[in-house]
Amino acid sequence: MKKKLVSMVATAMLLLPLLGHAAPIKIGFINSITGKEAQIGENLTNGAAMAIEELKAKGIQVELIKEDDGGDPKNALAAYEKLVTRDGVIGVVGPYTSGSANVVASRADQYQVPLLVPAAAKEDITMKGYKNVFRLNAPANVYSSVLMSAVAAYKPKTIAYVYAATDFGVSTVKTAQENAAKMGLKEVANEKYQQGQPDYRPSLAKVKAANPDLIFLVSYDADAILLMRQAKEIGLTPKAFLGAGAGYTTAQFAQQTEISNLVVSATQWTDDVNWPGAADFARRYQAKYSKEPSYHAACAYEAMKIMVVTASKSKTPTQLRAGLKAGSWNGILGPVKFADYSGFTNQNNHPMLVQQIINGKYETVYPAQFSKKKLIYPFTR
Amino acid sequence: MFFLQSLLSGILTGGVYALAGIGMSLVFGVMNISNFAHGDLMMLGMYLAYFAFTLLHIDPYLSLLLIIPTAFLFGFIIEKLFIHRIINHPHQNQILLTIGLGLIMSNSALLAFTSDPKILTTTYSSSAFHFFGGISLSVPLLLSFVITCGIIGVLFFFLSKSTTGLALWATSQNREAAQLMGINVAKMSAIAFGLGTALAATAGALIAPTYYIHPMAGHTFLLKAFTICVLGGLGSVIGAGVGGVIIGVVESMASTYLSSDWKDVVVFIIFLAVLLLRPQGLFGKKGEQ
Amino acid sequence: MKQSAIIVIIAAVAALLPLMTGENPYVLGVMISVLMMAALSSAWNILGGYAGQYSFGHAAYFGAGAYTTMILISTFNVNPLVSMAAGIIIACIIALITGSIVFRLRGHYFGLASIAVAEIVRLSVLNVDFSGGAQGILLSDLSLWGLDLNSKNPFYYGMLIVLVVTLGITLYLRRSKTGFYLQAIREDQDAAASLGINLSFYKNKALLISAALTSVLGSLYALYIRFIDTSAVLDLRLSIEIILTAIIGGVGTLWGPVLGAVLLVPLAEMLRSNVIGETLVKHGIVSETSGLGLFLKDNLAHAHVLVYGIITVLCILFLPKGILGLFRRTK
Repeated sequence: MKKKLVSMVATAMLLLPLLGHAAPIKIGFINSITGKEAQIGENLTNGAAMAIEELKAKGIQVELIKEDDGGDPKNALAAYEKLVTRDGVIGVVGPYTSGSANVVASRADQYQVPLLVPAAAKEDITMKGYKNVFRLNAPANVYSSVLMSAVAAYKPKTIAYVYAATDFGVSTVKTAQENAAKMGLKEVANEKYQQGQPDYRPSLAKVKAANPDLIFLVSYDADAILLMRQAKEIGLTPKAFLGAGAGYTTAQFAQQTEISNLVVSATQWTDDVNWPGAADFARRYQAKYSKEPSYHAACAYEAMKIMVVTASKSKTPTQLRAGLKAGSWNGILGPVKFADYSGFTNQNNHPMLVQQIINGKYETVYPAQFSKKKLIYPFTR
Repeated sequence: MFFLQSLLSGILTGGVYALAGIGMSLVFGVMNISNFAHGDLMMLGMYLAYFAFTLLHIDPYLSLLLIIPTAFLFGFIIEKLFIHRIINHPHQNQILLTIGLGLIMSNSALLAFTSDPKILTTTYSSSAFHFFGGISLSVPLLLSFVITCGIIGVLFFFLSKSTTGLALWATSQNREAAQLMGINVAKMSAIAFGLGTALAATAGALIAPTYYIHPMAGHTFLLKAFTICVLGGLGSVIGAGVGGVIIGVVESMASTYLSSDWKDVVVFIIFLAVLLLRPQGLFGKKGEQ
Repeated sequence: MKQSAIIVIIAAVAALLPLMTGENPYVLGVMISVLMMAALSSAWNILGGYAGQYSFGHAAYFGAGAYTTMILISTFNVNPLVSMAAGIIIACIIALITGSIVFRLRGHYFGLASIAVAEIVRLSVLNVDFSGGAQGILLSDLSLWGLDLNSKNPFYYGMLIVLVVTLGITLYLRRSKTGFYLQAIREDQDAAASLGINLSFYKNKALLISAALTSVLGSLYALYIRFIDTSAVLDLRLSIEIILTAIIGGVGTLWGPVLGAVLLVPLAEMLRSNVIGETLVKHGIVSETSGLGLFLKDNLAHAHVLVYGIITVLCILFLPKGILGLFRRTK
């Protein structure tokens, strides 16, 4: 009897939202909590959770519905459709992986519920003219362009590529090759590898024999450390190691000072950049999760903040879309504005940063207006 | 120089593969089961070595003295609880059971240790011996290789000289006949699975200082372990040992002279070729399949 | 006669289902996944269940269909149906090559060799350029005779048709000479051979039928999601899921694979989307702020694969012949 009463009260409470607008608005969050991308997914989970918590403390109530896609586009689509048609969210943040983001983005105009992509890199996502798809982070081509302009002043002549055989790895290297051609860099080695292998020495030995000025690297958390360990072991010493985001921007990598010192990397965010609240965010994140935030965490934090603040002023997905389109923000990721430019639609023209690891700490070194330190070139052991 | 460098690093990496392959081969031989949880057992070994190092400050190579008995016991219990119930079931059910057990292990690890990869950094993690001609040998890999050879030696001695070892061998030759001869076949299965687990965990612990530790880290080694034990001949310790080194060298040569993204294809082609041309493996006798 | 009547009735009911669910895209999406897995598992069952050849590499045929279709449409703008037919041809070629290798082997070796072939296919697709490699293939737009391919209905009925055809073929084979031969091969290969049954011919026949059906499903999947990469359509996980569905439902039975899909796919989706934890909290069975509530809310999402693993182990231990196996007399 008592149980019945409880469930009746619960049902009544469920129906409440239909009667008035007492219940908070709903936002969906699609992320890779399991699967191959779970390592990075966890950073996004933490960043987003921090945003929600802080906004709650400020009195902005929101119900966040979290969905896992396991990195599988089919699941991401199911998750988006569930959020939109069953849960009645007015906006969605995510998904993390480019494949999932592409699939969900292609359906967003059909359901007319805005999607804010926090960290997926593939250019396509915001190049198809979708009205309901917004992206906060800079796309894949910026990773290489910013790195190459950072070292252009030193007139390097040759470049080698070592990268993971993943979507991010291949896309980033493709754009890097275009950028390198513009700079007149000669490609002397190209080594694609399968993730998870224990031995990269043969590939690295080939790169060493080609003796490039620059080595352009795309790796994930763990293989970055493995690769650089073996690079040290065989004595690979170019003028600069250029890491495109991901594995070369983690605190764990920086702490391996033996192998990480003077490695240069492109990132969406650093904790010493002069964007409002960046340093403070890093401190609070460190206190809460006892590790340093990665740029993925910062992107998810800012994306969630923008989404929730805008959504709290909107009642419908249409209003939310208009709010995202018209709004501008200035938070830990610097000035944000979703603009249409050079083929992109609703893309935040985010300036990426170049950082260098100096004695286990990331220092922003490029572009000059965001940084306090100067790039150290060439690389030495 | 390329040739010598990739030969040497292939042999050293192959040593760790060999250990994983031997564990698989033993289970295959004695119990006639393809153990798809083998990679996940390796992963458990990696975490054991990691926690022994970070919490108890025991060197990963020294921690083997703890890991081997722990893993043996774990394998023994798993066999008694799950595997022995399906020992007479069709192959596919056995495979799916071990896949299920593997999923449970890797996803429990995911819940317990999160998906952040752990790096075991010892003082010698990225040090190497440098030789004339620019050839370098990784110190931790060399240590792992020496320990692997020691373990294979002890195992070979155990299997060919001790009573339990001979009983294991007899069971792998003919289960029914062994039973008729008064060998406790059920106990032999549990011992074999315990040994297989201990070897997998040892392989995991040995590779931990030069690799990374992650709940899904074992999956890379699963198909390699299968390839190795087919190559060496099911149930053959020496065969799997040599098979592991061969696979290590093939991978290394393929990345040097072909390209690193095609090296796994080369390994699988060799695997199929061995199955077709010499199904009993390099070290098996004909008719033993 | 009776079985075929049941197929017709169930197909008719399934055809009406979208109307009853109000065409909610989420529900319809899950139902498409159910039909797809039911059809995949049934197609596998022709080879695995009736001929007893446990292929662990069916993802290769699924991927062959998916990739052929996407490559032809994205580079040559071929009609989707033509591209599907081309997919069948490619899948059959891969099947013939595979068959010539793996059918010489038995037991463990057969399973392992089928994995090796599928992995070679996966890695090759990943490493060549015309397949999109690691980047996969994305199709932003698609049209066929003015059908609204953004809606789910065409794919729901497409999957349903393939499932019905697969079940029909299974039923036909079961009663035909081929079916008897296949079952003889399953029970005892050597005895079958000594009776004069051409082992290789009938095994290959079963494989080709199975591969062709699987490839059509791959094509449909690709057109439905409009994005494929190797981890979505060529992964070992997919092959394993297909077998698991058949085994849990009942291998070598007409309805086993269907039953397995009807149970497993929604269960996996409920675990993934955390509907179970959510419902428990909403109906006040578990308090949201209690330890268990927080665990369910935050961790069940991490744990859904774990639960899937536990279910697999329990099924193999306690239902080794599948759910339908419980009701069948032992032979």
